[in-house]
Amino acid sequence: MSELPPITYTLEYPYTRTTGPVVGAFLTALRDGRILGSRCGDRVICPPLEFDPDTAEPVAQDLVEVGPGGTVKSWTWIAEPTRKHPFQQPFAFALIVLDGADTALSHAVKARGIDAMSTGMRVRAQWREERASAVTDVYFVPEADAVDTYVPPGEGEVELTEHLISLDFKEAIHPFRERFARGLIAGKFIGQKSPVSGKVYIPSKGYDPLARVAMTEADDVELPPVGIVAGYTVITPVQYYGQKETEPYIRASILLDGADQPLGQQDIKNIPHDEFRSGMRLRAVFRPESERKIVEMDNRWGSTGGVIDHWEPTGEPDAPPEKYLEHLF
Amino acid sequence: MRDVAVVAFTQAKSVRAERDLNETEILIPVIHDIKRGAGLETKDIDFVCSGSSDYLAGQSFAFVSGLDAIGAWPPVSESHVEMDGAWALYEAWVKIQTGHADTALVYGFGKPSMGDLSRTLALQLDPYCVVPLWPDAVSVAALQARLCLEGGVLSEREMAEVAVRDRGKGKSNPYAQVTGDFDVDALLAEPTFVSPLRRHDCSPISDGASAMIIAAGDRARDLAERPAWIRGLEHIVEPQDLGIRDLTTSRSTQIAADRAAVGKDKIDVAEVCGPFTHQSILVERALGLGESVDVNPSGGALSAHPLMAAGLTRIGEASKRIWDGSADRAVAHATSGPCLQQNLVCVLEGA
Repeated sequence: MSELPPITYTLEYPYTRTTGPVVGAFLTALRDGRILGSRCGDRVICPPLEFDPDTAEPVAQDLVEVGPGGTVKSWTWIAEPTRKHPFQQPFAFALIVLDGADTALSHAVKARGIDAMSTGMRVRAQWREERASAVTDVYFVPEADAVDTYVPPGEGEVELTEHLISLDFKEAIHPFRERFARGLIAGKFIGQKSPVSGKVYIPSKGYDPLARVAMTEADDVELPPVGIVAGYTVITPVQYYGQKETEPYIRASILLDGADQPLGQQDIKNIPHDEFRSGMRLRAVFRPESERKIVEMDNRWGSTGGVIDHWEPTGEPDAPPEKYLEHLF
Repeated sequence: MRDVAVVAFTQAKSVRAERDLNETEILIPVIHDIKRGAGLETKDIDFVCSGSSDYLAGQSFAFVSGLDAIGAWPPVSESHVEMDGAWALYEAWVKIQTGHADTALVYGFGKPSMGDLSRTLALQLDPYCVVPLWPDAVSVAALQARLCLEGGVLSEREMAEVAVRDRGKGKSNPYAQVTGDFDVDALLAEPTFVSPLRRHDCSPISDGASAMIIAAGDRARDLAERPAWIRGLEHIVEPQDLGIRDLTTSRSTQIAADRAAVGKDKIDVAEVCGPFTHQSILVERALGLGESVDVNPSGGALSAHPLMAAGLTRIGEASKRIWDGSADRAVAHATSGPCLQQNLVCVLEGA
């Protein structure tokens, strides 16, 4: 058998943050080609703060323009940028004390090479042609490379700043999940029966969460493709980032016969919402073998997407509540 | 104040990437072992507190799965911090101080091998003005190292000496990951990794977990022959913006050490959590450790750095020296955030 590929996924959160009076003014100025610091006692802090960092006391808003030139206080060289970095070619991160400021700004310097970087060097702000009301609207270059350009002011005050958090993950599929996945491809439900509690888990986590003992292949059991709707919800999709559904849809927990844990998050496609109910007996209809693929499998929650085409009513009488009340999810 | 002591500690062996176990499965044997070792059942433990980060697993509520290792049924009194387990210990210690518990189980765990750890840690920075640039953890530490080096605060040789010291001592620690005999001159001949840091300046990326049991007064005396009494426990945080802080010193460690009265008496052993060699030096100085102190007998974070457990492990390793009588007074340190932003100091005594 060929090895199943590792599980890979990208975690993304699209953050939209309100800026408040000080960061808002900073980002508004940045969009318009100016850099602001805040006066705090006898210091000028950049990026500006609403409070005194030593005492946490609020400070009266007193913003002053700093830069666009500055001096590098410390730096490091990014030889291999990653996709979220501000440049896709090697560049420097630096602590930059802008002219007129007393504290350092953490930012990126686009330099020709590591040899072009040194502590104490002069740098100058450059503005991106396309600005997004974010700190990435600006970057720095060695003073000799700087070009003065006209930055046309944008409209209104920046009150929101957006940033997409994005991280990549990769993990080998664990042995018990691999057997579960291979079972699905073969049209079977493979769970595990705890040698201690006798409970049957599907998909198993590889251990009995009640007795807290590891389980092995010897504990694998096959379950029939029929079960009871233990609970469900009709979701009216809000079009958040990543939502693929557009119409109300059902997500059901299905307790397979012989299992002590329902299969969660099952997609119900062919049953009218007003006929769907807890206690209903359903059978899984697998896709044709050649079309089965493992999607969104992970080592923690598990998925049956890409294998089960749909669930259909068996026509049997509904199960009484006592059969599934312990398994609501 | 109630007398509270560390009475048991267990850890998993740190590894670069645990292939076949998820983070809960790494944790299960650790929790089994500590309960068996202490002779306690779940029902004997009044409070449970854990430290982990969902960003390491890349899944919301990943920390909830960790509870499978404890057994959430019948219900337990439980809490979680999105921080190193050392801060979970702090919460448990407060819980005992308030009189709501006499015993507590504390654990930290993480499996950073699933993601790109250095990049994930960029999310600790200011979300408005810094995160969108994605300065990774090693780069940020490199900015600090250069400030220290060019400011004459420390030298590359001193940094390499820390790596040689810790990884040499780590040889006797079966749970450590990167250990061995290294030569300072040979290390200094290596090219830089992220300038000015070399690879030996960076702690390894480790999958791992550790767990601890603390108890109050007579309960502690029942559970350990020579409990490691917590005589000082303080944590202090510095401002988030790197440009505002003096990165060439660890002011928060210094304040925490003063409040925990580290300098009140002689220290025999120190366990310091320095994710980078220069950070270890800054912390050792801030703690005011004298020449005679045995620093990082376990090999420290440079030998194994199971994120979210490494700080708790420092306290556990220091406790072991109290239990076996090799130390009468020890100090342990944990850190969190970029460039030693937040620091916790714990003073342990045998009497």
